[in-house]
Parts: sequence; C-alpha cells; structure tokens
Amino acid sequence: MIVIEHINKHFGKLHVLKDVSLTVARGEVVVIIGPSGSGKSTLLRCLNYLETIDDGYITIEGQPIGKIKLPDGRLVDDSRKNVYRLRSRMGMVFQRFNLFPHQTVLQNVMEGPITVSKTPVTEAKDRSLALLAKVGLADKADAYPVQLSGGQQQRVAIARALAMQPRVMLFDEPTSALDPELVGEVLEVIKDLVREGMTMIVVTHEMGFAREVADRVIFMNDGRILEDASPQAIFTNPSHTRTREFLSKIL
Amino acid sequence: MRIGPIDVEFLLAITPILLKGALMTIELTVLSIFFGTIIGLFVALMKISRFKLLAVIGGFYTWVIRGIPLLVQLFILYYGLAQYFDIQLSPKAAAVLGLSICGGAYIAEIIRAGIQSIDKGQMEAALSLGMSSTQAMRRVILPQAYRRLLPPMGNEFIALMKDTSLVSVITMVELMRSGILLNTTYFRSMEIYLTVGIIYLIMTTFFIYIICRLEKRLAISEGD
Ligand SMILES: Nc1ncnc2c1ncn2[C@@H]1O[C@H](COP(=O)(O)OP(=O)(O)OP(=O)(O)O)[C@@H](O)[C@H]1O
Ligand SMILES: [Mg+2]
Repeated sequence: MIVIEHINKHFGKLHVLKDVSLTVARGEVVVIIGPSGSGKSTLLRCLNYLETIDDGYITIEGQPIGKIKLPDGRLVDDSRKNVYRLRSRMGMVFQRFNLFPHQTVLQNVMEGPITVSKTPVTEAKDRSLALLAKVGLADKADAYPVQLSGGQQQRVAIARALAMQPRVMLFDEPTSALDPELVGEVLEVIKDLVREGMTMIVVTHEMGFAREVADRVIFMNDGRILEDASPQAIFTNPSHTRTREFLSKIL
Repeated sequence: MRIGPIDVEFLLAITPILLKGALMTIELTVLSIFFGTIIGLFVALMKISRFKLLAVIGGFYTWVIRGIPLLVQLFILYYGLAQYFDIQLSPKAAAVLGLSICGGAYIAEIIRAGIQSIDKGQMEAALSLGMSSTQAMRRVILPQAYRRLLPPMGNEFIALMKDTSLVSVITMVELMRSGILLNTTYFRSMEIYLTVGIIYLIMTTFFIYIICRLEKRLAISEGD
C-alpha cells in the first residue's frame, strides 16, 4: 500500500534520510523507533509531503506522492490539487496535538470534512459526534482545546484525523508530550484502530505498546533503517549492536 | 468672559471651526485605516508567499515606504506627480492615498509578524487534513493571528490618526490645518493649538477605548 524506494532528504548540508526504503502493506501496523534526530519525524513528514524528498520516490496505493510519471517514465511535479487530495487520505497525528485553539472540539473535528471534502454541515456534525464518542469525548464537543487535558486533546486530534476517513494513519510520537498517567488513554484509542484493521505507521518510544500491536518494528539510526523485523526479533534478539544499545537505554 | 488666563468666549468661537476640521480628520483616519489594512494584508501575504518575486516586491514596498518620512511622500504625491506627470491630485485624494500607502506598509509588517507568530504546527495540521495553503490561511492561521493583531493594530491606527495632521501641509483642511488657519487670523497660538491638542487627545482616547472593548469581546467569544 505504501512503497518508499531509496529516498534521500537533506536539510542544507545535513543528510537526514539516507537511502531509505520501506514497504507497508494494507492493514499493517509498523512502529518506528530510534534515537532523537535519526529522521523518524522527517520520514513521516515526507510521506505526507510536508517535506519534499531529494530523490527516490514514494507511492501510496500506487500513486506517487507529489510526482506523476509521464509515459516516457520521467517524474514531474504533480499538481497541488492532487497533493492535497493525497494528504486528505492520510491522517496525521502530531506530538504536540496541534488542535485549532480558536475552534471548539466539535469544530476541530468537522473542519476537514467541511472545508476540504465540502461535506454538508449536518452530515459532518453527525459523523464528528460519532467519532468523538468513539474516542470517549462526546461530552466535550463544545469545549475549547485549552480546557482539555493533554490526553483528551490528543484523542480529539485523532478524531480530527479520522474524520477525513483516511486510508493510513501516521502517528508522530503521539504520547511523548503527555503526563505518564495520560498515555494509556491515548494508546487505547490507537489500539482500537489497530483492531479495526487501520493501516498505520507509529513513531513511538512506548516499547510495551510496540510489542503488543506492531506487525513490524523499524529501528532508525542516523537517517538509515538499520533494522526491520518482528517485535519479538527486535526486542529479544536485535541484529545490530546499535539497536541493542538503544533498547537497553530505553527499556 | 475670562476664567483666569483663559478667554472663554474666544474658545467658544473657534471650537466649532476646529470640530469641523476634526470631522475631516476622522474621515481621513477611517479611510486610510480601511485602505491601509487592505494594502497591508496583501503585502503581508506577498511577503510570506512561496513565490520569490512577490516576496521581493512586498519587501521592497515596506522597505521604501517605511524608510521615507510620510511628509516627503505626501509632497511627492501632491506636488511631484503634478510636476512630472501632470497628475494633480486633490488634497484629499493625495492625503488618503499617502496615508493608506504609508499605513499599509506598517500594517503589512504587523500582519506578517502576527501570521508568523502562529505555531508552525497549526499550518501543518491544516495541510495534513488536505487543505490548500489558502484554505489553511483563511480557516486556521488568520483567525488566530487576528486577535494577536488587535493590540499592535490599535497602536498603528492611533499613529495613523495623529499622522493625518501632516496632510495639513498639502492644503488639506483637517483639524491641524483648521488650527493653522485660525492662527493666521488671530495670532493666539496657545489657545488654538492647545484646543487642537485636546481634541486629538479626546479622539485617540475614544479610539483606544473602542479597541479595548473589541479585545475583550474577542477574548470572551474564544472561551478563555
Ligand atoms: N526543518 C528543518 N530544518 C533543518 N533541519 C531539520 C529540520 N527538521 C529536522 N531537522 C533535522 O533533521 C534531523 C532529523 O530530525 P527528525 O525530526 O526527523 O528526527 P526524529 O528522529 O524525529 O527525532 P526526535 O526523536 O527528536 O523527534 C535532526 O538533526 C533535525 O535537527
Ligand atoms: Mg520526531
């Protein structure tokens, strides 16, 4: 479903992603771990075309992101409209929630369907309320984000992303900004999505969660994918010393 | 009649004339705030545009306009254009044009700073939903920038109101010029300019009051 082939990404002189390739099948849950600065967020952002890649290519359901293939095989920049459409099919959840503070919880969730998909208001509202119920926040529909705890805000952010009915969910350290006692409620919501068969890529430091839900765990280090294996393999018998060092520090 | 050093009768005689000038000052202020804000919004969007050429033009505009005294700009508009291109603007047109162009440059800087003060995550969250950058600007960024803009915009509006006094030099009869004209007849600078000053003070105070009210209203409607 997602194919990443030999992508490279520089920020100025800094080589952030080095020849990264990764394939994610439909319904698969891929967890990415790795030290700070190893390029995990950048990889997710490239998937969503929030960052452009220098070379290589990414396709989602066969469609290249940000590029189209001409009959002669060359890749040229895709129209912005297609980029927007592709983005709308990928839900993204950020470390710092990024809820819209000037809107109520319900308005946050309705924003995508109304502005992007032009869904009629009543329909968008019904669907958004259902999503809020699903993340356990039906009673907070009229609250503003500042009035919620971090865990509640992140659950709203997940509902907001789901409102666009995405094919893939990308999570960038969804629980890193939360107090420890609030982590569980957010992970529960994500686990619900796993049970529903949502395809997702989750960057996280929650190793227990990774072990429980991941089909595969990717270990990134210094812009490279060093390891791509089942959770059991990675956690019990990592093939790189670098992975072992990282895990011993974090567990 | 006199109260101490104050000649009350004289004050009563000149006040209606000055108030008429003050009305024109208000009109000039409102017009230049209106056009200045439109110019400012466009220039601000140009300056943060991903199109380099627009950004350069926007930057050039604010650099030039903010670097030249408004008084000089007014002379160029009113006298300069007439000499070179045979365009004789009316004093009012030149005044509104000059004030709007000048105010627009400062307002552009305020709006640009306001937009850029919004956390980058907001734009990214909007884009990740599939919004175009225009939609993200309209639905997410500007509504948040708006309330941060009010205080500096208020200051700018007040500055603009005071700057309208400069257009007296291009024969625009507003509050300041009404005072100058009265003084050429009566030679009573103290009474006349003190009254002019007090009228400005009343107007700016009223303005500040309105802006404070707006800020409070906005704070309430946004739930914190
Ligand atoms: N917009 C940017 N401009 C310049 N450098 C950047 C930018 N974004 C990220 N970087 C750099 O790229 C490298 C990878 O960053 P990235 O955020 O992808 O790491 P990460 O693995 O997500 O780390 P963390 O665990 O701290 O979130 C870092 O060295 C970072 O400083
Ligand atoms: Mg990161």
